[in-house]
Amino acid sequence: MDDLISEFLTETAESLDVIDTELVRFENNPDDRAILDNIFRLLHTVKGTCGFLGLPRLEAVAHAGETLLGKFRDGELTVSPPMVTLVLQAIDQIKVLLEALEATGQEPAGEDAELIARLEDAAMGRLEDTADEAEAATPENWDNDLGRELRPGEVSLADLEAAFQNADVDADSDPAAQETPAAAEVEHLGAGDFDPELGRELRPGEVSAAELEAAFMSAEVDPANDPNAGKESLITADMSKEEALQTAVAQLKGSEDAGAGEGGPRVQQTVRVTVDVLEGLMTTVSELVLTRNQLMQTIRGMEDDELKGPLQRLSAVTGELQDGVMKTRMQPIGDAWRKLPRIVRDVSTDLGKKIELVMEGQDTELDRQVLELIKDPLTHMVRNSADHGLETPAERAKAGKPEKGTIKLAAYHEGGHIIISIADDGKGLDTRRIGEKALEKGLTTHEELERMTDAQIHRFIFSAGFSTAAKVTNLSGRGVGMDVVRTNIEQIGGVIDVSSTTGRGSHFSIKIPLTLAIVSALIVGCDEQRFAIPQLAVRELVRVGAGSEHTVEKLHGARVMRLRDRLMPIVDLHDVLGVGEAYGGGEDEAAFVVVLDAGGRNVGLVVDNVLDTEEIVVKPLSESLRNVSAYSGATILGDGSVIMILDPNGLAGEIVSALEEDAAYDLSSATVTELDQQTQRLLLVRAGGEEPKAVPLALVTRLEEFDPATIETTNGRQVVQYRGRLMPIVPLSSEIRSVEGQRQPVLVFAENHTAIGLAVDQIVDVVEERVDLQMSSDKQGVIGSAIIKGKATDVVDIAWYLDQSRAGDIQRRSTSRRRKVLLVDADAFARRMIAPLLAAAGYDVTPAGGLHEVKVIAEAGETFDALVGDPGGIDRIRKEGFWPDLPALGVTDWPDDTPADGLTAVLPRSDRGALIAALDQFSHEEKVA
Amino acid sequence: MTTHHHSDSSELSAEAMNEYVSVRIGDQLFGAPVDQIREVFAPQSVTHVPLAPDEVAGLLNLRGRIVTAIDARRRLGLTPREKTETGMALGVERGNEIFGLIVDSVGEVLRRPRAELEPVPAHVDARWRSMVKGVHRLEKELLAVLDVSAVIGTAARKNEAA
Repeated sequence: MDDLISEFLTETAESLDVIDTELVRFENNPDDRAILDNIFRLLHTVKGTCGFLGLPRLEAVAHAGETLLGKFRDGELTVSPPMVTLVLQAIDQIKVLLEALEATGQEPAGEDAELIARLEDAAMGRLEDTADEAEAATPENWDNDLGRELRPGEVSLADLEAAFQNADVDADSDPAAQETPAAAEVEHLGAGDFDPELGRELRPGEVSAAELEAAFMSAEVDPANDPNAGKESLITADMSKEEALQTAVAQLKGSEDAGAGEGGPRVQQTVRVTVDVLEGLMTTVSELVLTRNQLMQTIRGMEDDELKGPLQRLSAVTGELQDGVMKTRMQPIGDAWRKLPRIVRDVSTDLGKKIELVMEGQDTELDRQVLELIKDPLTHMVRNSADHGLETPAERAKAGKPEKGTIKLAAYHEGGHIIISIADDGKGLDTRRIGEKALEKGLTTHEELERMTDAQIHRFIFSAGFSTAAKVTNLSGRGVGMDVVRTNIEQIGGVIDVSSTTGRGSHFSIKIPLTLAIVSALIVGCDEQRFAIPQLAVRELVRVGAGSEHTVEKLHGARVMRLRDRLMPIVDLHDVLGVGEAYGGGEDEAAFVVVLDAGGRNVGLVVDNVLDTEEIVVKPLSESLRNVSAYSGATILGDGSVIMILDPNGLAGEIVSALEEDAAYDLSSATVTELDQQTQRLLLVRAGGEEPKAVPLALVTRLEEFDPATIETTNGRQVVQYRGRLMPIVPLSSEIRSVEGQRQPVLVFAENHTAIGLAVDQIVDVVEERVDLQMSSDKQGVIGSAIIKGKATDVVDIAWYLDQSRAGDIQRRSTSRRRKVLLVDADAFARRMIAPLLAAAGYDVTPAGGLHEVKVIAEAGETFDALVGDPGGIDRIRKEGFWPDLPALGVTDWPDDTPADGLTAVLPRSDRGALIAALDQFSHEEKVA
Repeated sequence: MTTHHHSDSSELSAEAMNEYVSVRIGDQLFGAPVDQIREVFAPQSVTHVPLAPDEVAGLLNLRGRIVTAIDARRRLGLTPREKTETGMALGVERGNEIFGLIVDSVGEVLRRPRAELEPVPAHVDARWRSMVKGVHRLEKELLAVLDVSAVIGTAARKNEAA
């Protein structure tokens, strides 16, 4: 293709994108002259260049659009959305023509009479009335159609076009002549403040743009019509052309908007370089960096001072060069957002919504490769927000929200990553619908779904196969194609998450690396070979075996590891890659488990050893290796050897089916908060008031919903048929307040093979928070209060309510002596939860947080009937030799996976009944014996 | 190993000549068209890639670029080389990638008249026929002309289908 044409295409595409954005801005601020001036100038440049290159079809469309814009400028027409839509259609048509031009190198045949006619009609104030002006008027006879005296601006425009043509001929016929007129003009203007340097740089099109500005400005000076007369009065009609031009250029230079447009004078010197050149440069620099590293490694052992100086210099220069080249690859994220205002505008016009798009941090820079890859997902998500997230003005008004919805797009740097957030204040995700859909797709089961929090259910929108194209339109909530978005983001090593509040909106956040070219990686060894794992995916490293407290255990053949009270699935890299011997888990056999974030899940990867961390240059794989999902690329290490980069998501794919059930669970713990022993998962409910109440989730066996009609009253107690038995139901507030037609949410507590229900008004959420419980004894049924999600929240005393439920039951047999229990748990919250339960069951409880406290108690000569607590704590007490003969009951979230060594029994934390039953049994037995 | 040939002279006009890098793979002498070969190098420290297709011998570093080494023996269905035999590699550039075609040994460049290239006999194994463009009769043995793209390219295509 002609160089000139391709240059034109690149430049025009940029200009058109700016026009798109600016038009949307203009629509909202119709009085802002600066915006209109900018649009006008850009479009004029496009038109002028089309004329110059001999592209009549493009020129005609541009001209018609420009004419309509001219009417806005002149204040003859007021800006209205249909008008702007029309101009945008003209811009779209220009884009279509440009695409054809790019594809074929030729302007496509045909004409755009209909569009031009509509533009012209609009320009004459007959927007709706297109029928009687069906005949396509050419720009030349438009003046005649107008049927009135031409205004000075229009004349100038025509003149100007003629001037262009002349200038073009000059430029074409005599290259030397191109310099001469410009120089002459500068000479001519030299008397004023005109910058001669600038004058030299101006291309013919730019000069004429300025001239056009001047001409228009002089045409505009009609103080009666022009609201900006004061501002524009710099140029008056009686100024000489030179003076006007000079002032106009000065204004353009001074105006910030001038710099934004391609047509404006270039203040900043730039050179266009193809991306290929930059990529090549990057590759070369990467190699230089690697060679430098190699050299540094070689020299490290030597005591050669002569080499050290120059080498250090080389190292520094290489670093600078690398930074410099990296910078050339950086682009502001605003480039990827440029199309968004237009998209949002179109959606809002189509759907009759009022939407404001707020963009923050447009200047945040990231690698252009990353930018390219996130462009589509971002566009998709913003479109989703506008389309499905935000409500219509009527709906919003009804919900008590401002009619205009807001979509807020923000980007910022955070620790070597970029965080992009897309938030809207719409209706939020439709939890129920997503849940139904997840069931329909077989992504979860009813039981699991009932136990899930809203946040966990929301994450289903990212699940593969959640949305199918056929169903996109009738999904009333969000989540259209979000699995694709997630895949795209994960491909570049990013992470996506969502949070949503019904009625308040949703918030997507994306975390992506700054660049894909160089990443920090962990180098691990496996079967004599080395592999790199991107640091971004590595959560932590755990040593297993050979004296480490962690071990890899087997659960029906599947490997798992206990990590802070959770079971984490384990894959062995040996098995995944089919090399060497898998880690056997023997006592003297040591290995490392790399805890990976794979698609939001924690997965442990067993490797032989961890060697190093290194900044690596990611090289793409050849086609024959690209579909081996275990790898994301290859790299060359400092010593020159090639190693493979493991793809955490690909590795996780190996065991993904086994993990699917755990997905939401793990994801929530990973994203809501860092894994922390001190955090508690609390169920927030509402009962008898607006303020939330908290129930420790570990104590709740199930969440159920019952039809209020099925709740019966017998003997003054409320019961419901549940799994073939009658389950008593106690209200958490003073009474069960069922709403007709709504299902009654009930928390079910398993109690020694019977179940007891606690009725609440509403289940609000599950939070995972560090809980600082303030004890209080004045309120019945309340253990204390804690600050949860920034609000003081009562923590419910389950034991009290459960006793209430048994009010009519046979009382627990009274014991002759209150038996004493030592409660050991490092977790203060667990102590506080379990202690009242045991106390309520008739035990004297002494809580102890750690070995130190236990020692103090032991040295005081205290005796107990039983030990209760976390298995680790009991184990340590046993090792110290305290109370060796006491029955010990381990209480844990993972009873099935806790070895019962030294423990009388291991019980699930959630089953209070079983704990008390066991305690009754064992402490009694011990006494008898 | 290589075949010296007296007709490798200038008595025939240049336009009618084909130039081949002669290589040996197993017992067979092959010719790789010179214009398709970027360079010939001794592959060093090839990184084995677990899970890769059989014919991918591994990856190696060629002056800062990662080269995918394709084992010609495996591609042609011959017995694999001994671990100790490193062989030689023909560097082939395809798109932005460099492939190293690992052969047993590399001999000299042979020039043969284009007109003498004969089609591959029909009863030759189909896999070979897909990778051999034709045959030159040398004095002592046959020179099978490799379709380098097929040897490299089908590796990728076949893998994609899998």
